[in-house]
Amino acid sequence: MIIAEHVTKSFGRTTAVDDISFELQPGCALALWGSNGAGKTTLIRCLLGVIRFQGRASIGGVDVKRRGRQARSLAGYVPQELAFHDDARLDAAILFFASLRRMDKHAAKTALDTVGLTGHERKRVRDLSGGMKQRLALAIALLSDPAIIVLDEPTSNLDAAGRGEVSETLARLKQCGKTLLFASHRPDEVIALADRILVMDQGKAIQDTTPSEMWPNESGVQMIRLHLTMASESDAAKVLRDAGHAVHLNGHGLCVAVSRDRKAAPIHALSRADIEVRDMELIEGISSPEASP
Amino acid sequence: MSAIAPTAKLAGTHRHRSFFGGVYSFARREFRDALSSRWFVLYTVSFTILAVTVSFMSLSGVGSHGFAGFGRTTAGLLNLIMLVVPLMALVAGTGSIAGERERGTLLYLLAQPVSRTQVLLGKYLGLGVALACSLCLGFGISAMVLAWRAGSVGISTFVMLTALTCALSISMLSIGILISVLSRRTGVATGIGLFVWLILVFVSDLGLMAGTVLFKLRVQEVFALGVLNPLQAFKMSVIVNMNASLDVLGPVGMYATQTYGDALIWMLALVLTAWTILPLAVATFAFLRRNSV
Amino acid sequence: MKTPITTICSALVIMLTSSFSFAAASPEDVRSASVIVELIDAAQPGALVDVPAGTYEGKLTVQKGVRLDGRGMVVIDGGGEGTVVEITSMDVTFRGFTVRGSGARVTGEPAAIRVMAGNVVIEDNHIEDALFGIDLRSAPDCVIRRNTVRGKDLEAGRRGDGIRLWWSHNCIVEDNDIQGSRDMVFWYSEQLIIARNRVRDSRYGLHFMYSHNTVLLENELVGNSVGVYLMYSNSIRLIGNTMINNRGASGYGIGLKDCDDITLKNNALLANRVGLYIDNSPSSVDSVGRIADNMVAFNEVGMLATPITHDNVFTANAFVENEQQAATHGRGDLSLNTFYEEGTGNFWSDYAGYDLDEDGVGDLAYEPQSLFASMLAKEPNLRLFVYSPAQQAVELTSRAFPELRPAPTLVDPVPLSRAPVIKTTSNSTMTSGWPMAILGLGLVAISGVSCWRLSRIGSLPARIPGNGKRGAA
Repeated sequence: MIIAEHVTKSFGRTTAVDDISFELQPGCALALWGSNGAGKTTLIRCLLGVIRFQGRASIGGVDVKRRGRQARSLAGYVPQELAFHDDARLDAAILFFASLRRMDKHAAKTALDTVGLTGHERKRVRDLSGGMKQRLALAIALLSDPAIIVLDEPTSNLDAAGRGEVSETLARLKQCGKTLLFASHRPDEVIALADRILVMDQGKAIQDTTPSEMWPNESGVQMIRLHLTMASESDAAKVLRDAGHAVHLNGHGLCVAVSRDRKAAPIHALSRADIEVRDMELIEGISSPEASP
Repeated sequence: MSAIAPTAKLAGTHRHRSFFGGVYSFARREFRDALSSRWFVLYTVSFTILAVTVSFMSLSGVGSHGFAGFGRTTAGLLNLIMLVVPLMALVAGTGSIAGERERGTLLYLLAQPVSRTQVLLGKYLGLGVALACSLCLGFGISAMVLAWRAGSVGISTFVMLTALTCALSISMLSIGILISVLSRRTGVATGIGLFVWLILVFVSDLGLMAGTVLFKLRVQEVFALGVLNPLQAFKMSVIVNMNASLDVLGPVGMYATQTYGDALIWMLALVLTAWTILPLAVATFAFLRRNSV
Repeated sequence: MKTPITTICSALVIMLTSSFSFAAASPEDVRSASVIVELIDAAQPGALVDVPAGTYEGKLTVQKGVRLDGRGMVVIDGGGEGTVVEITSMDVTFRGFTVRGSGARVTGEPAAIRVMAGNVVIEDNHIEDALFGIDLRSAPDCVIRRNTVRGKDLEAGRRGDGIRLWWSHNCIVEDNDIQGSRDMVFWYSEQLIIARNRVRDSRYGLHFMYSHNTVLLENELVGNSVGVYLMYSNSIRLIGNTMINNRGASGYGIGLKDCDDITLKNNALLANRVGLYIDNSPSSVDSVGRIADNMVAFNEVGMLATPITHDNVFTANAFVENEQQAATHGRGDLSLNTFYEEGTGNFWSDYAGYDLDEDGVGDLAYEPQSLFASMLAKEPNLRLFVYSPAQQAVELTSRAFPELRPAPTLVDPVPLSRAPVIKTTSNSTMTSGWPMAILGLGLVAISGVSCWRLSRIGSLPARIPGNGKRGAA
C-alpha cells in the first residue's frame, strides 16, 4: 500500500530523513519508532508528498510526487494536533474537508458519528478539548473511508483519557482492515497496534522489527527513566541504542524500555561508556511513560 | 462511539475534486474567513465611510455637476483609492499563506487531496472576491450619494472606476500573495507588504519626481518609468476612460496620448495585467518549489 | 456638460437635419450655376432674386448688388474646385443657400463664400465640405449671421478657417455655428461685434490678429484647442462668453498675447486645460487688463501667466475647483498683478480662512503656497503625478517644514468668502439620479448576494437518511 524507495530529505546541511526504504502491505500496521528528532514526522510528510524529497514514494500504487493529489486522496491523515482555523465551527470545518474529498454532508455526519462527536457541531474548534480535536481529525481522515490512515503521533498531546479514546478507535480501524502507518514513541501503542516497527534514529532506519522482537516479553517490559546531564543525553541514547535498547528522549530524561529482570543493564552500559547517571526511576505500567511526576 | 466500517477495499476510490472544484472549495473557505475576520470588516467599513465622505464633500459647496471636467469627485476618490486599496489588498495577500504556515494549518491542508496550486489559487480567488465585494459596497453607497446630490452625470466613468479599482486590488493581492509565499512569518510578510505599499504609493513616485527634476528626464522617459508603477497605470487608465486623453497629466500625458493614441488604453491594461499575472505566477512557482511547508 | 452620448445625439440631430434639408433641396435635375448668373444679370441692382430650388453646379460670381435668396432649397456645389461663391459687388445679400464642394488645397485658399466688397449680408446659409467657409477680404460693414459651417473632413493641420475677416472693419458676426474647421479668425479688422457664435471642435474658436476695438459677446466655444485667442489686439471686451473643454495642444479657454486694454467680464471658463492664459498682456506700460466677475472653474490651471505679466486687475472672479488655481508659466509669481480693487477680491474655492463677521470677505488673505505647484512651474513634466498620494505627500511635507514652503504665487488680501453661482448658457439642469442610484443599488446587491451565496454553510443533517450509518452499525 505504501512503498518508500530511498526517501531522503535534507534541510540545508541536516539530513532529516536519510535513505529510507520500506514496503507496507495492505492491512498491515507499521509503527515509526524513534525519539524526537529522529525524522518520523518528516518521513510522514514526504510519504504524503506534502514536502519535496529525493527518492520515490507511492500510496496505493500512485506516485506521490507526480500525482500527489490522487495519492493523498487514498489516505487519511491525522496530525499530532489538529491545526485548523480556531474560529471555524466544527460543522463548517468538516464540510470544508468533505468538499475537498467530494463527499457530501451525509458522509460528514457519518464521520462525526463514527468518532462520537455528534452534538458538538456548532462548537468552535478552539473550544474543543484535545481529545475531541484529535477525534475531529480522525473524522476528517475517515471522511472518504480511505484504506490507509497515516498518523503522526496522534496521542502525544493527549491526557490519559484522550489517549484511550483515540487508541480504541485506532484498534478498531485496524480490525476493519485499514492499513495504518503511525509514528509513536509509546511502547503500549506500538505493542497494541503495530505489526511492524521501523526504528528510526537521526533520519536513518536502523531496524525493521516487530513488537515481539523488540519487547520479547511484553509483560516483562519495564520503562525506566534515566536522568543524566543534558550534554550527555544524545551520546547516552546512542550508546543505549547500540546496546539494543529502545530509547526515547523527551526532555525529561531518557526513557528506556528494558526487561523487568534486567533493569540495571542500561546503567551498566552507560557507565562503561563513562556517562554518569544522576538518577533513575521506574515508570509503573508501560502504558504511561510520561504519567509519572 | 460507533463502529467503523470494515473496509475490504485495498485501495479506496480516488475521492478528490477536480482542479477547479478544489480551487472553488478553498476560495469559498477563504471568502468566509475574510468576511469573519475583524480587519476585513474594519477595512470595508472605513473604505465605505471614506468613499461616501469624499463623494459627499466633493459635491458640497459649488455644485460641479454639468461639466465634463476631471471631476473633483473622481480626483478625490482616486487619491483615496490609490492610498487605501493597495494597502488593503497587500495586507490581505501577505497574511494568506504565511498566516496558515505560522499557525501550522498549511501543513494539514496540504496533507489533504489537494495540490499546492489549488491552495494558492483558491486563496487568491477567495480573497479577490472578498476584496471586490468590499469595494462594491463602498462604491455602491457612494453611487447612491452621487445620485442624490448630482444626478447620473459620469455614470460610465463611475462604472469604469469601480471595475478598474477591483483590477487594482486584485493586482495588489497578487503581490501580497507573492510576499506571503516567500516569507516564513506573518509579521515579516506584513512588514514587507507595508514596505512595498510605501514604495508603490510614495517612494517610487517621489523618486521619479526627484529624478525628473535632477536629471531633466525627457517626457518619454518620465512616461515609461511612471507607467511601470501599477498605481500610475491605474490612474492613467481611469483618466483615459474618462477623458479619452491623458492631457490632464500635462506634457507627459499629452505625449502618451499623441504617441500611443488608442493603443494607450491597451498598454495600460497590459501593465495592470502584468502586475497581476506575473506576481501570481512567481508566487505559484515559488510555492511549488518550496523546500519545506 | 457633454457626455459622449449627448455628443453623439447632437451629432445625429445635425446629421438628420442636414440630410433633411438636402432632401428638401435636391430636385431631379441638376443645373449649372450660370443659370443664377443669368437671373442676376436680368435683375435690377437692389432687387430680390429668388433662386429656384435645386442643385446648381459650378462657380457663382455675384457682380451686382442684388438680394439673392435660396429659401433653404438651393444647393450650390463647386464640385471640389476653387472657390464656390465669390461676391465682388457691394450691397449683396446672400441668404438661404447650401454651399458646398470648394477646392481642398490650401493654395489659393478656396472658400465656400468669398466676399471682396463691403456692405454685404451673408445669412442663413449652410456651408459644408469647404476648405474655408466664409472669407471676407477688405469687405467692411458686412453682416455674417446664422450661418452654419462644417469643415472638410481633413486632419486639423490642413483645414481652413470657418469664417475669416481680412481688413474688414465694422462687421457684425453673429449667431453662426462652426464645427470642425480651423479658426474663426479676424485679421486687421476693427470695430467688430462678434456675438452668440458657437464654435466647436476646431482649432481656435475665435482668433484675433492685430484686430482692435471689438466686442465679443456671449459666444460659446466648446471643445476647441483654444476658446478665444487674442494676439496683438487691443481694446477688446469679452463679455458673457462661455469656454468649455478647450483642451487641445494649447488648451486655453482664453489666451491673451500682447494685448492692451482688455476687459473680461462675466465669462465662464470651464473645464479647459488652462482657463485664462496671459502672455505679456498688457504689453504697454500704461495699460491695464480688467478681469472681473468671471467664473473660472474645473480647469487644470485656472489662470496661467508668464512671469513678466503685469498690471492685470482681478476682482470678483470665482476660481472654483481648478486643479491649480493660479500659476505662472516658469519661475516667478503673479505679484505684478492685483487681485483686488476697492476692497473686493476674488472667490477662491480652496480658501482655508474664515469670515467671522460674515460680511462676505474672508478675514485672512488668500496666499496659495503649494510646493507641488512651484515644482510644476519649474518642471511641467511633474504634472504626471497629480491626483496621486505622492502629490499629497509633497504638500504635507511643505506644510510640516515651513522652510520648504514656496513664496505665495499671489496675494488676495480681501478674498470673497461666499461662492457665487455659476451662470452659463450650457449649464445643464441636473440629470435624473435614477440610473446612478440603480447602479449603486446594483453594486451593493452584487456584494450582498455574493456574500450570502459564498458564505452560506450547509448545515449537517440531523440524521443520516436511509439505514442510518454506513457499513456495520
